[in-house]
Order: sequence, then C-alpha cells, then structure tokens
Amino acid sequence: MQKITIKKGHNINISGLASREYSNAPTQKFVSISPQDFNYIKPKLLVKEGDQVSLGDAIFFDKTNPEVKWPSIASGTISKIVYGERRAVLDIIIEVDEEKEKNIESDKQINLSSKDNVKELIHKHNFWPFFTQRPFNKVVNPNDNPKCIIVSLADSSPLANNLSFSLAESKEYIISALSNLKKLTDGQLYVAVRGDNFSFLSDYDFINLIQVEGPHPSGNVGVILNRVNPLNQNEIVWTVHGSHLPVLGKLFSKGVIDFSLNICIGGPAVKPSYIKSRIGARFNLYKDSLLMENVRIISGNVLTGKHVDIDGFLGFYHSSFSVIEESYERPFIGWLHPGGKSKYSVFNAYLGSNKKSFDFTTLQNGSNRAFVPIDAWEKVFPMDIYINALARSIEANDIDEMEQLGIYECDEEDVALCSFVCPSKSDVGAIIRKGLDTIYFDK
Amino acid sequence: MNFLRKIFEETGKLVEKGKPLSWAYPVWEAADTIFFSTNKQTSKGPHIRDNMDIKRTMFFVVIALIPCYIFGAYNIGYLNALAMEIERGIIGNTIFGFTYVIPILIATFVAGAICELTFAIIRKHEVNEGFLVSCALIPLTMPPDVPLWQVFIGTSFGIIIGKEIFGGVGTNIFNPALTSRAFMYFAFPTKISGDKVWAVGPDGYSGATALAIPANPVEYDTASNLFAANTQFDYSTVNMFWGLIPGSIGETNKLLILFGAFFLIYCGIASWRIMLSSVLGLVFTALLFNLLNYLTVDGILQAGGFPNAMLTITPLQHILIGSFLFGTVFMATEPVTSSHTNTGRWIYGFLIGVLTVIIRSINPAYPEGVFLAILIMNMFAPLIDYYVVQANIKMRLARNV
Repeated sequence: MQKITIKKGHNINISGLASREYSNAPTQKFVSISPQDFNYIKPKLLVKEGDQVSLGDAIFFDKTNPEVKWPSIASGTISKIVYGERRAVLDIIIEVDEEKEKNIESDKQINLSSKDNVKELIHKHNFWPFFTQRPFNKVVNPNDNPKCIIVSLADSSPLANNLSFSLAESKEYIISALSNLKKLTDGQLYVAVRGDNFSFLSDYDFINLIQVEGPHPSGNVGVILNRVNPLNQNEIVWTVHGSHLPVLGKLFSKGVIDFSLNICIGGPAVKPSYIKSRIGARFNLYKDSLLMENVRIISGNVLTGKHVDIDGFLGFYHSSFSVIEESYERPFIGWLHPGGKSKYSVFNAYLGSNKKSFDFTTLQNGSNRAFVPIDAWEKVFPMDIYINALARSIEANDIDEMEQLGIYECDEEDVALCSFVCPSKSDVGAIIRKGLDTIYFDK
Repeated sequence: MNFLRKIFEETGKLVEKGKPLSWAYPVWEAADTIFFSTNKQTSKGPHIRDNMDIKRTMFFVVIALIPCYIFGAYNIGYLNALAMEIERGIIGNTIFGFTYVIPILIATFVAGAICELTFAIIRKHEVNEGFLVSCALIPLTMPPDVPLWQVFIGTSFGIIIGKEIFGGVGTNIFNPALTSRAFMYFAFPTKISGDKVWAVGPDGYSGATALAIPANPVEYDTASNLFAANTQFDYSTVNMFWGLIPGSIGETNKLLILFGAFFLIYCGIASWRIMLSSVLGLVFTALLFNLLNYLTVDGILQAGGFPNAMLTITPLQHILIGSFLFGTVFMATEPVTSSHTNTGRWIYGFLIGVLTVIIRSINPAYPEGVFLAILIMNMFAPLIDYYVVQANIKMRLARNV
C-alpha cells in the first residue's frame, strides 16, 4: 500500500449531496449512447432507426480505427438517431426490451488464462470503449502496450458518486475485473482508494493499492499518475472508470453482459438520491425530484460534465447527474458585496463565506478579462507542471514546448478547478484540450 | 434600482452590434457591470464559478490603499502646520491635506480613464479594472504640491507606454504606475526631487527627506548620528515608522502599509513571497554594506576619499526610510509584471531588495532606488521565469530517459 497526500486543491462545498441510500425509480424505457462522449473518433453507424439490437451488438465503429466497435447498451429497438450540425450523430436512442434482455445467452465457458484471451473476450463483446487512455483521454487502441493501468475508486469531484457505497454489492466483480485488467499490462495495476474504503483489495498482491488523501483533484487518475508513475512522452496508460468495474467483472467472471449502473443525482436544485439504473439512463424519469423550474441538468459533475436537457441522457463515462439553478440575477454593485452566505470563494475575499454548503448557480460571477496571474490556478493544481507557462505555450501553438512542459500528463478534468477559481474567468480546460488537439492532429 | 436598470437596458440597445454607437460598447459594458454584476452564465464545464472576479481583485488593492491616502493627507497638513508654526488639529490637518491630494487624484483618474477608454474602444476589448489600481497608486508616489499638468502627462505616459502599447493589462512588461513615476522623475526633476517639494510650507521652505540626509552630509558621520543631528524633523526609528516625516504622499506611515500588506496577503491577492524576499534581499545587502563600511573606515582596509555615509544605514533604517515598503507591498507584487512562478518570485523579490540598496547607497545621483529597482526587475522577471521553467523541463527530460 502506497500513501499519497495531495495538498493543493479545493473541495467545493456544494449543497445537494445524496445520502447513502437508494430511492426507487421506474426502470428505464430508453437509453442512449452518444458518439460525442468519445474524443477523436469518426463514428460510422452500423444500425439504422428501427433495427433490432441485442446487448453488446456493435452499433458503430471508429473510421480511424475500425477494430474498435461500440456496443449496444440495451436489447431492443433503435428508436431514434439524433443528428446535430453537419450530421454529427448526437444520440443513438434505444428502446429497451426487457424480455429480450433477460433471455440473452451468456458465454458458458470463458478461458481467460492469457492476455490474448482477455483481449479476445473484450473484442467479442465490443467492450473496448470502457478502456480509455492517457494522454488524450480517448478510447484505447487494443494493439497498444500500456505501461500501466490505473483505476480510481476515489473520485473527489463535487457531488461525485460515492463508489464505496454504489459498488458495495459488487466485491467479487471488482476483483474479477481487476485481476483480468492486470493481464492486459506488463506493468503495474494501480488502484486508488480513499481512506479505509475497499480495504479488501489489500489482500491481493497483483494490485498496487494507493491510498490518496487531500482535496479535489486528488482522485483524478492524472493527478495520481503524476505522483506515482509520471507519464512521459510516447508512453500510454490505460484507465477504466471505477463505476464500470462491475460491468467488466460480470463479463469476465460469468460472461454476462449487464450494463446496470448505480447512479447518483445531486445538486442544489434537486432532491438528491442514489438510484439503481443503467449506463446511458434518461433524466426525465427523475424529473419529479427537481426543486425548481429553471435548472441546468448536467451529466457528470459540475466541473467537467456536459449540459443535457430534461430529456437528455447520461454520458457513457458518467455515473451521476448534477442539477443546478439557471440564474439570471444581476445584484446591484455585486463586486462590493461584503460577503455572507450568498458568496463562495476560495480567496478570503468575502466575510464569512464557505461555512455552509453552498447553492451554486450557473452564474459566471464576473466578466471575462485578460489573465492576471495572482497565483489562483497554482493554488488548486497539484501537479509538478507550470500550468501558466503550459497555457501560454498552447496559445502560442508551440508543440515542442507543450511536450516539454508536460501536456501529456494533463487532461481537462485535472485543470477544471483552475477555471473554477480563475478571477479572469478563463476556461483552462478548453486551453488544455486545444493543446492536446493540436498535438493529436499534428501526428 | 429598477429605474437605473432601465437606463442601462435602453442605452445598451444603442451600443449593440451593428448600431452606429457600437464602438462605445466597452464603455457601456464597464459602466453596466460596475452598477450591476454581470449575469453572464457559464456555457460548458465548469458549470459553476468562484465569486471572485477581476473587479473585486482590483478593488481590494484600492481598499488597501485608502488608509495610506487618509494618513498622507493628514501628514501634509501636519508638516504644513509645523512649517507655518500654527495649530490646526487632526481634522484640520487632514482636510488641509485633502485639498492637495484630491486634485492630484482627479488629474490621475481623468488621464487614466481617458487613456484606458480610448484604447478599449480602439482595440475593442473590455475596460480592465487594472487601471483603477494604477491610478490609485500614482498620487501616493507624488509629492504634495506637484503641478497637476505634470500628473496628467505622467499618468498618460504610464498608462500608454507602460501598458497599452504592449496590449493592455495582462501583457504589459512594466508596472504602469511606476512607469509614470519614473517618467516624471526624469522629465520634471525640479518638482519631484530635492529638498523643496516634500513638505508644503512657505515659499522656499526646505525639508530634506530621510534619504537625502545621509546622501548629502556636510561632513561624514554614520547615518544614525546624522539622523539624530537633524533638528528640523524627528528622524528617530519610531517616528520614521509612524511616518510624520516628509516624503511622497503614501509612503510615510509604515504601519498602514503593513496593514495593506497583510490584507492583500490574507485575501490571496498579493504574493507574500515577493514581499518577504525583497525584505530579505534588502537586509542582506544592507548588512554587507555595513560590513564594507566597517572594513574601509574603521577597519584595516583604509580607502582613500570621502567615506560614504549611505553605507552605514542599518537594515532597519533602510526598511523605514524612503518608499521601500510601499514599493514592495504595492508595486513589486503587481502580478502581471512580476515573476509568474513561485521560485521566480523569491528571486525577483530578493533582487529588488538588493538593487534598492545598491542604487540608494552607491549611486550618487538619486537617493531613492526602489522604483528603479522594481522597474529593472520587471524587465528581468520573464528571464527569471524562463530559467525556472527550463529547470522543470530538464527535470521532465531526465525522467524520460
């Protein structure tokens, strides 16, 4: 067991944390998978509206890497394919046929003795999209040889799905998933946990258990890697989202395809709860829990999630919905406000703020301004990277310098807090993504 | 409130894109967001944002300066009363002082606002609140009866040459307020240096600042003795701390400057590393010069010529005389023109302290060295950052092998 403590960072004290119990909800009738959730792919559809699909059937593939196909996340009928601008596929909505899902046959005999066996099984059921890589945060290329694999069970983002609760019933599947993940790499398998959660994992030698402490972003795989095994140029690390371990575990141990997922709904504008649901769940089933009219529904967390409408679906890699109020308020001379409960800042700039959990809204709380380096980003960015210098090299389009300054170690989620605290209201994540895009398309 | 809101909404329609008055949008936006916080919303992640913005950041620096203004005004009145040999009382002195401070303040803000708004319109960028800080700093570095037209020209020079020609706030190399100060120092030396300008008195009234005394002694002695021998003002260590001595408007009371320093550090706006390291640099160099003086005057290495009384100033006296503390707390910590890395900030601050003492003690022409030291280090800050970042790059390359 290795212990790492992250000092720089900030736990955003946002209200609407779900208590650790499940509330009842009707079963999902519609689920969706959106090609937009995957970076750098050119999707080519294999199905059309009205087609019958079964769990795990390939429904589209990536033209740049045809080997990787995406699974149907339900058995049933393709009810609608939603197109956006320039015919980009936004959503592939599947109407769930529960009878058909129950009767699906599972692989009776699974031989997973070698790396190739595991890869074959993943390939057969189109499970590669569950594996993402750093750098670039994209779906892996199965032919790559990752230097290590890392799984974070210590998500520290605001209102995150607490995996020690939502995965509590899946012990054996977690172990099965991890033991087979280990076969995919010649290097280490890192598993990050927080405190005493998942203590049963310390019994297994093949797992390199890391106990993380400290505020967000301490649970991000990028931040943990930066401490334990930094990512260098031309190296690749694979990662699997903690909430997907039971899905993989069920496939590896029993040959069953089951995309159920325990999701959490939280935020100041909703009645928070945990719900037993599935990947790609639709939000409108839970709309009774909304506390007000004007809300923004976010698939994922409030820092990096995507904005969906009330009929929207959970992103492929997300395991929570966050709901905050859409505010259009314009307080009189707000910048002179003395403080109190209506303000939240990581700076000591308001009297008596941050004491209680705070009802955040979608207000940006300031106009966009030229960047003034008052050490705000650095306060919440725990990696040994000069983020300010890196951002400048990205704006200057200097690929050599980006590489030298460690852009491969960063991802949007690692710098989301920088954008949160930035007094100039810069979007640091967008800058990092721009740099990664520049490098990706240059090669 | 609704009435005001309506005015802004109506005038806002006039400056929309495509309307003849659209060029005035930056001015309208600045006024609008001063009265009503912006309702701009986040578009994508992060969907929530901190309540701190640039307006408040800059406004807090101005708040930190307000006590210096009040004391500066009082001090003008106090020194005047001393020169005129009259009694006016605390309030009377302060009001007397404000009759000097407020015109300077108005001249600065008019010049600053004209420059900033003009450039915002030409460049089509928002008005950055940073100019408020520059304009609040400039009067505090001035002697009380500086001609207003000089302030106007100096401020314009500082804002345009110090900031706008480099692209505005965020891309400037030199601190605009200090650029103004330096410009005025060299352009109008008779009104901003020497013995005549620091206290408002009868015609020809002369009051030497603490720095001028060891710089131009009649006969060599240690600085402490020279201070003690000065009968016109009380240049004891305690009184120099309380600031009832001639000097620029904002620089004299060290307690209020320290209050400003702690306020800015507490709020997370100014870098304590720069403040601490410049004091360390100053103490280090002052001690070195004390030693040098000991060796050349009292010790074995007898040097020829006139011994330099400036070398005998103790570190504490160096901190208290002149505008070292004011410059360190409010000027050196200006985030854009100082180093951007924490390691760099230590080096940058330390060298400001070192250069301050060198310019004060060894250069015979001008006894005040802080503003020049900070401007020189402004110039070197990007170089310092470059080497700090290179060290990080080398570390990463070494790891890669």
